[in-house]
Amino acid sequence: MTIHTTTELLLEAWDPGFVVPILCVIALGGYGHRYRGRLTERGIWYALAVALFFVALASPIGVLAKGYLFSAHMLQHLLLVLAVPPLVLLGLPRDAQTSSEGVRSAREQVALPWLAGVGAMWIWHARPLCNAAATLPSVQAIQTASLVVMGLAFWRPILAPRAEDRMPPLLATLYLFAACVACTILGIIVTLSPVEVCSAYMHPDDAMGALPLLRDGWGMSCKADQEVGGLLMWVPACLVYASAILAMLGRYYAEERPSLATARGAE
Amino acid sequence: MTVANPELIAAPAPAHHEASERGALGWIATVDHKRIGILYLLTALFFFSIGGIEALLIRIQLAQPNLHFLAPETFNQLFTMHGTTMIFLVVMPTLVGYANYIVPLMIGARDMAFPRMNALSYWLFPFGGLLLHFSLLAGGAPSAGWFSYAPLSETPYSSTLGTDYWILALLVLGIGSVGGGINIIATVLTLRAPGLTIRRLPLFVWMTFITAILIVLALPVLNAALVMLLVDRRLDAHFFQATGGGSAILWQHLFWTFGHPEVYIMALPAFGMISEVIPVFSRKPIFGYEFVAGSTVAIAILSFGVWAHHMFAVGMGHRADVAFAIGSMAIAVPTGVKIFNWIATMWGGAIRFTTAMFFATAFLMQFVIGGLSGITFAAAPIDWQVTDTYYLVAHFHYVLFGGTAFAIFAATYYWFPKMSGRLLDERWGRVHFWLTVIGFNLTFFLQHFLGIMGMPRRVFTYPDLPGWGALNLGSTVGAVIMGISVLVFLGNMVRSLRSGKLAGDNPWDAWTLEWATTSPPSPHNFERVPPVRGRRPLWDLSHPTSAKTSDAAAHDERARSEEKVPDKSVVAAWSFIVSETGFFVVLILTYVFFNVSTTASAAALDVKTTGLFTLCLLASSLTLHLAEKSQAAGKGSAFRGYMMATIVLGLVFMGGQAHEYVSLFERGVAVNTSLFTSTFFTLTGFHGLHVTLGLVALGIIAGLAFAGDFRGKPSGALKAVGLYWHFVDVVWVVVFSVVYLRNVL
Repeated sequence: MTIHTTTELLLEAWDPGFVVPILCVIALGGYGHRYRGRLTERGIWYALAVALFFVALASPIGVLAKGYLFSAHMLQHLLLVLAVPPLVLLGLPRDAQTSSEGVRSAREQVALPWLAGVGAMWIWHARPLCNAAATLPSVQAIQTASLVVMGLAFWRPILAPRAEDRMPPLLATLYLFAACVACTILGIIVTLSPVEVCSAYMHPDDAMGALPLLRDGWGMSCKADQEVGGLLMWVPACLVYASAILAMLGRYYAEERPSLATARGAE
Repeated sequence: MTVANPELIAAPAPAHHEASERGALGWIATVDHKRIGILYLLTALFFFSIGGIEALLIRIQLAQPNLHFLAPETFNQLFTMHGTTMIFLVVMPTLVGYANYIVPLMIGARDMAFPRMNALSYWLFPFGGLLLHFSLLAGGAPSAGWFSYAPLSETPYSSTLGTDYWILALLVLGIGSVGGGINIIATVLTLRAPGLTIRRLPLFVWMTFITAILIVLALPVLNAALVMLLVDRRLDAHFFQATGGGSAILWQHLFWTFGHPEVYIMALPAFGMISEVIPVFSRKPIFGYEFVAGSTVAIAILSFGVWAHHMFAVGMGHRADVAFAIGSMAIAVPTGVKIFNWIATMWGGAIRFTTAMFFATAFLMQFVIGGLSGITFAAAPIDWQVTDTYYLVAHFHYVLFGGTAFAIFAATYYWFPKMSGRLLDERWGRVHFWLTVIGFNLTFFLQHFLGIMGMPRRVFTYPDLPGWGALNLGSTVGAVIMGISVLVFLGNMVRSLRSGKLAGDNPWDAWTLEWATTSPPSPHNFERVPPVRGRRPLWDLSHPTSAKTSDAAAHDERARSEEKVPDKSVVAAWSFIVSETGFFVVLILTYVFFNVSTTASAAALDVKTTGLFTLCLLASSLTLHLAEKSQAAGKGSAFRGYMMATIVLGLVFMGGQAHEYVSLFERGVAVNTSLFTSTFFTLTGFHGLHVTLGLVALGIIAGLAFAGDFRGKPSGALKAVGLYWHFVDVVWVVVFSVVYLRNVL
């Protein structure tokens, strides 16, 4: 198989495999079964989350992320941490319980989720891990699972369906801002780094025959590829956090009536 | 104590008694936020006249083609001094001065959170100004432009001491600004009157608060870049010189990482002023308070992500250009919608066109022009065409003069009566306003055309091309008119101070708390702080029926449960730590940037010995923790013992660092040996400096403890110093991993 044009790539470079479609079906089926009779328009968010999960792994994004383009890997990475988990949380019904009962300590409620969210960005860009995930399917599976789980942990205090599972909005603003800064610093490092972050992407094993298209057609030299990857993490990722911060401020100013939930959340 | 009127809540006792001092000493030794605010404003006014004269000299030189009124070198010094003066010695101190005077009054406080630190922050400002101007006596003013691009600012190209004084002045000013920023953050978070929740903050306070956060985050980046440039210049390192492997582009990145937030540091408080003036003179509450407040946060965050749009012309590549063009256009959205908020506030209002309102209205129009030309710069190809031309000069003067300075004029006409007790004369105000509007637009609107015609900025003269002479002459005439307008303004102030109309407490019938006290306020600000039940407390006071709605009552209840007042020392310590983190992140990233490809140079380091001293430093964090525990448990002797142990362990660590330095020096390794040694000594040296400062603070605490302080009660100071010490240790863990452990692994 040889791919010559972008259209061919977009049409042909799909590799769903077995596991990803099964997971998607289970996710959708499980959701429909669990919340049978209580489906609202929030289900659309959930469906979108599943669709993006599928796109991130099975579409040309996922295919190119397997050893071809660092930037495709970064796009996949961002979708799995910054898009799928928040959409899942938005998609759950308003009374869905996402944590155990009882008041949690600040460490459990703030520090650990924050470290999970920022760690998801940083850990998988350590060179050995990044290389392993780009070439070994088993490591890639672990990576995908851990990104989604850490993403869910990060976004739960922000977007949990029940108000009592969330942190106070002003604290959430700081939480998101700090995450944005940490993510931006990583983006800057990747963009400006004089050495390659993931050396596996230097010499792809070109099974699809797509390399000439990527290198010459798209102009994605190794250096350009890493730069785009870094910029994706730097600018669009920052816009996601900034949008979430605006949503938090909107929530803060919208809170007019006293509720037990937020009074407890502040303690 | 009985309260005569149950509607009024008693304010806490005065924090200080020095304010009664009279005469010059009373002003020099003052820690009263109002006097410090006025000192800021007067000093800034003084520098404004210097910067203005520099601008006039520049304009006279450019009035006609091929003039030789000024020598090229003098011209370079003048535009450098004009830019530096106007930004660091005029706009920032003026905004901080107003924040100092108005914010405590607006939130019903007696003073800033840390009055003495406030005085220190102020005095660093004239000191920095003197340092900058001392360069004139030491061989010539700096001449590399206000952003001192490397390598022009390096010794081979700027051999006089001018740039060194520029660096020192900016460091001093930067430290003062960070102190001021921390003070504002602590004041707003801990000293608000009962009922004044974050949701109800006057927009000027909110925007000043966000600005303070920007200052605390952005200034350390500049400080880190400045110390590297100073190490380059004085110790022959090569951070920013390609000849020694350094990177001139790195300077641009670091400078604009600070420089773009700086734009908003100079714009947000101005937005706040406009957001106070327009509603009061339109007799309507601000339209979309939540949006104005929230979008300010969005602007603040985005401002850190778009600095590279200042560098389109440096050749970052299309990919980076596209990313930053998108980011830069995005930041225009929250800013642009604010304009609509202000217009919608005026819409249908009973507008009173006082001079303040005139300036606010002109601000709207001129800021839109400056904003629109700014968006044209976000498109990289347009930027390539017109960057470093007079189009750029026109753009940022529309933002900074047409925007910020007009807002400051509006604020001055608005708050002068509160500060002096007398109104500024309205008739002379009109004269001042029209002269300023005409002079400003004549000067800078024409420069758009000059820029598009290709006239470069920062060149001392220009050839006699068609139209250039006439446009430049028009621009110079405009500058002279602006000069006259400033004289009218000064005259109006002097005249009004002597014989202006008495203002009374609330001449504008405004709504925020500063108008609830006398004009000028007494040293302790308020006899009684009125109750706050909404965003317009004084309006609520005069309309009691509509004030206490069930909503407001519910809000009060929430406020009580939600707004726990944090300890001001802890707030300040955390703000300082965040700021210092920025400083060290820059130094660490620079180290990584220059040393990532090789570990060979770092192999010379003795990891084991340094590892032992590292353990000492970590142990000191433990002993300090135990000291805090003992203090909380009331065990005085254990507390003092653990404090001494902490100090000894800290001293051992510093001894280790001294030993390491000496052994490196003996082997002939110096700061300028290689990029590795430059980055190594700068990073570890500044960490050592921080440890030393921490030791001084610990020493003071220990001394106080032996003198009998810290008995029984929890102490904010101890907590703050503890946080700082732990922070210094954490930084060392990162430095040790990055510099030393990386070789071993």
